[in-house]
Amino acid sequence: MKYIIAKSLDGALAALQDTGTGRARVVAGATDLFLQEQPDRLIDISRLPELQEVTLEKGLLRVGAAVTHNAASASGLIWEKAAALAEASTLLGSPQIRNIGTLGGNVANAAPAADAAVALAALGAEAVLFDSPGRFYVKPFAGLYAGYNCSRVDSCREILAWFLIRPAGPGQGSAFLRFTARGALSLPLANAAARVTLEKGRLKEVSLVVAPAGPAPSRLKKTEALLLGSNLSGKTWSMAEESASAEVAVRGSALRCSVEYRRRLIGILAGRVLSLAAQRAQRNR
Amino acid sequence: MIRRNIKAGEGKEGFPGARGFYDPEVWAKVTGRARYGIDLALPGMLQGKILRSPHPHALIRNVDLSRARSLPGVRAVLSGTGLGAKPYGIVFDDENPLALDRVRYIGDEVAAVAAVDEQTALEALQMISVEYEPLSAVFDPEEALLKGAVTLHDDFPGNIAWENRINRGEAEAAFKDADLVVEDTYALPSFHPGYIEPISCIAESEKFDGLTLHTALQSPHIVREILAGVLGLSISRVRVISPVMGGGFGGRVYGNLKLYLLAAFLSRAAGAPVKMQLTREEEFTVGRPMVAAMIKMKMALKEDGTFLARQADIITDNGAYSAQAPWVSKTLSERNDSLYHIPSISTRVRLVYTNKVPTGQYRAYGNQLANFACESLIDRAAGKLGMDPLRLRLKNCIGPGDTSVHGLQIKSCALSRCLQDAADAIGWTERKKGRGYGISAAIHAGGSIVFNPDFRGASARARLELDGRVTIVTGEQDYGQGAHGAFALIAARALSRVPGEINIVSRDTILTPFSIGALGMRQTTIGGRAVQLAAEDLLARIRDCAAELAGEEVVPEGGAFRTSSGRLIEPVGIAAFYCAKTSGLALTGEGRYVPEKSDYDQSGYGNIAVTYSFAAHACEVEIDRETGALTVHRFVAVHDSGRIVNLLTARGQVYGGVAQGLGMACSEGYIFEEGRVANPTFSGYRIPTALDLPSIETLFIQTDDPEGPYGAKGLGEIVQVPTPAAVANAVANALGEPVNELPLTAEKISRLLHGWECAD
Ligand SMILES: Cc1cc2nc3c(=O)[nH]c(=O)nc-3n(C[C@H](O)[C@H](O)[C@H](O)COP(=O)(O)OP(=O)(O)OC[C@H]3O[C@@H](n4cnc5c(N)ncnc54)[C@H](O)[C@@H]3O)c2cc1C
Repeated sequence: MKYIIAKSLDGALAALQDTGTGRARVVAGATDLFLQEQPDRLIDISRLPELQEVTLEKGLLRVGAAVTHNAASASGLIWEKAAALAEASTLLGSPQIRNIGTLGGNVANAAPAADAAVALAALGAEAVLFDSPGRFYVKPFAGLYAGYNCSRVDSCREILAWFLIRPAGPGQGSAFLRFTARGALSLPLANAAARVTLEKGRLKEVSLVVAPAGPAPSRLKKTEALLLGSNLSGKTWSMAEESASAEVAVRGSALRCSVEYRRRLIGILAGRVLSLAAQRAQRNR
Repeated sequence: MIRRNIKAGEGKEGFPGARGFYDPEVWAKVTGRARYGIDLALPGMLQGKILRSPHPHALIRNVDLSRARSLPGVRAVLSGTGLGAKPYGIVFDDENPLALDRVRYIGDEVAAVAAVDEQTALEALQMISVEYEPLSAVFDPEEALLKGAVTLHDDFPGNIAWENRINRGEAEAAFKDADLVVEDTYALPSFHPGYIEPISCIAESEKFDGLTLHTALQSPHIVREILAGVLGLSISRVRVISPVMGGGFGGRVYGNLKLYLLAAFLSRAAGAPVKMQLTREEEFTVGRPMVAAMIKMKMALKEDGTFLARQADIITDNGAYSAQAPWVSKTLSERNDSLYHIPSISTRVRLVYTNKVPTGQYRAYGNQLANFACESLIDRAAGKLGMDPLRLRLKNCIGPGDTSVHGLQIKSCALSRCLQDAADAIGWTERKKGRGYGISAAIHAGGSIVFNPDFRGASARARLELDGRVTIVTGEQDYGQGAHGAFALIAARALSRVPGEINIVSRDTILTPFSIGALGMRQTTIGGRAVQLAAEDLLARIRDCAAELAGEEVVPEGGAFRTSSGRLIEPVGIAAFYCAKTSGLALTGEGRYVPEKSDYDQSGYGNIAVTYSFAAHACEVEIDRETGALTVHRFVAVHDSGRIVNLLTARGQVYGGVAQGLGMACSEGYIFEEGRVANPTFSGYRIPTALDLPSIETLFIQTDDPEGPYGAKGLGEIVQVPTPAAVANAVANALGEPVNELPLTAEKISRLLHGWECAD
């Protein structure tokens, strides 16, 4: 197998297009990829400076796909403008994994409950992609999943470059929570992320995403709608818990937990994560 | 955070010289220089791989090896019928190196290949075709006991591998007269020791019918005997050399006999050394975890809390083959009865074959499994009596000079002080609201004298080297628990030397005296006593030789000798003198520690060990009442292991054992789906990480045992015994409801809290 460390985005795209020497695939931290079938050529995009940037420009937070979880967790800008993402990156995996695993890899790997992906989904992120002929597209987050562990991002042809996020302004806040069977090195039994906008002490906008519930991070639209206009009381969060629990479609497994427990857990996390996001929104004047 | 504490005035750092002393191997380990079995390679070595059954139970109709044999790079391909090997086993002979006509679990060994590299060996496995005729299988031990259940072994009708009944006193009458009877059923899954280095070996078949096996073992001498038997070799032609071990915890007393045998057969067939190594998945699916247990238990008490009787009906899940499971089941069914004064006992234990992973042994021989049941039930009784669980225990504690209900003779014992100190350290009298508190106690035998009633002790040799250092040669094993360091401290003490001047030689059956090995907390107690005696014997011989060299009387002085005329004679001079005088020999000493024969009788009554160690653990937990998540905030472990040889390594034992016990209590355990292990990885089999462990406070109550070396007793196995029950009792305390199933996952606790049922 050939391992190519890309020096530029154009170089990486060219290397992907050059199929003469066998199948190629994009790699970043390889924390997911090393467990899977290896292609003939790997194009490492993890050192491209433009893919490691975190910037705020033209009212949008732009986060590079090659930003590692540790980098995201250490970014003051991400904490301020998209706390849910920083939180997910802080809790994911273990120190070693966070050191090399990237946001782009987390999303493109398309695991149903990938932590950073759940946060990005709740934040309403959009993905900027380049394909090998060099064209670029902007896709909504929901359009990135094709099925269980199957991404619409074709990593043999496309490079996920950035995530575009609407930054938290006054009265806005986000949060992420996960529940695991062990303190570290444990995929979540359930996770949840929320983003809210407040107006006069009431919920004006709500985005609530939970997982694992289906192949992609799952937006609970009924619960979101139900909560609009509610105040920030314990009653609201109980209502959120109940509604989320009822709305979500989950699976159980002997290895992780039963359907009933996951349903309860997702409800509890939904209530808690909304309350946390609202607290942040209140503080964000 | 780990907090440390030791009672004032009690042997601060351990034996003389213990402060700052560790075995040199520790450095090699922490600097990455230690060579483990997995690192070993020999010139011309082949790689061996095993074809395993995909069926939980099936007849083998045909095995076709021809295609695999013709693959280039393949050097040997074996099936069961071609081997001509006799069945073998540890307690009884219920296994074959490769299945003959029937497979009994998913993973059962069917064929083996040796090839020039792993890839080729794996390819060859794919080219072996096996015709199976699936049979119905049984996974639940209770179902396996039912009439009409499919039988796994023709020699074991009813699927009972082993069974025992123990009756002491008048249990029936006691239950009739009791003021209080409490009962419940407790369930525990199979637990794997989870050592980080998977088992590996290199077998080198020698000319003239010999075998050298490189593999890290706790009991190399016993494994040598078993291998010689199955392979038809003379025992003295089989040599077992142990490299550094990457964790054993009782799981490598016999290691994986099947792997060693197949490596030996393949090496013999191929005429080259063969390396075999289990994958992590194989470790979980064909390694030898501890039995799962179902314990139905009943206890009778007087109103004032006096224990009257205990009755137990225990079923242990053997899996498809037995290994040490009968011994584990025996210890599991008995040991806890000797922790308190309980005049009447009535126990039935049945070890049952099922079509699942065969079981073996893991630290403490199942004592911890029954401890969970016994100590939980005691808390239940305390609740019913309205009595403090600590007081109820203190009222019934066994003590020094007592003979237990099964005839164990307790010499040194600080059980009640362990309990009291554990309670004090956790803050028993000022328990906080919103938290749960639990306490539990344990006894464990250190140095069995009934494992083999004729071979009860240990021996060691000591030799004065030309450089003046002393070498101890022992068949006992350091497998990471610190035995070599302990031996050095014991020998140094006997010789008035510093421990750094002692060499320890072990891990090679050709060089060392026969030994039972590292099991049942034998090393420091029995092995260490032999080291002490060998060193003392050597000292006497050095002294005689010093007097001969000086031509006058000598008295020992700090490792050297002072003559009556005032000259100092150093060991180096004595060694040189003796070497010259004998044309090359060294001064040697021998130590044989032969404990008194046991009065152990047919009913299993009698003393079983030279020493008994005691412990009490206490903890503080918190439960998230919405999710059921359990957090263990603080943990206190108080141990009576006699005089502490080395405080640093003693603490290491406690931390490790408590961590494993917490894993059992909170998150570990096999999950099966139709006989298949559903969690054969460390991501699914959840041993705790650093983030999951609470602060662990260790305390030692240093009794002086008359049998152990300088008053020391065993510490290796007992460290895990009271842990699961302490956590379970704390959880029950927090919930206000008993718990009777481990591990205590958040889901289980949530169900207890909210009373919901599982539909799937
Ligand atoms: C021990 C361990 C623990 C873990 N714990 C967690 C956890 O708690 N939570 C969690 O969510 N995940 C966890 N993971 C999964 C993994 O670490 C994360 O998903 C990580 O973010 C993946 O990033 P990476 O850079 O390593 O991806 P890689 O392995 O390099 O790539 C993953 C996939 O994405 C593609 N890809 C990567 N970057 C791009 C790009 N820029 N453009 C297009 N395609 C791309 C690759 O081709 C590949 O298909 C864990 C993994 C391990 C090994």
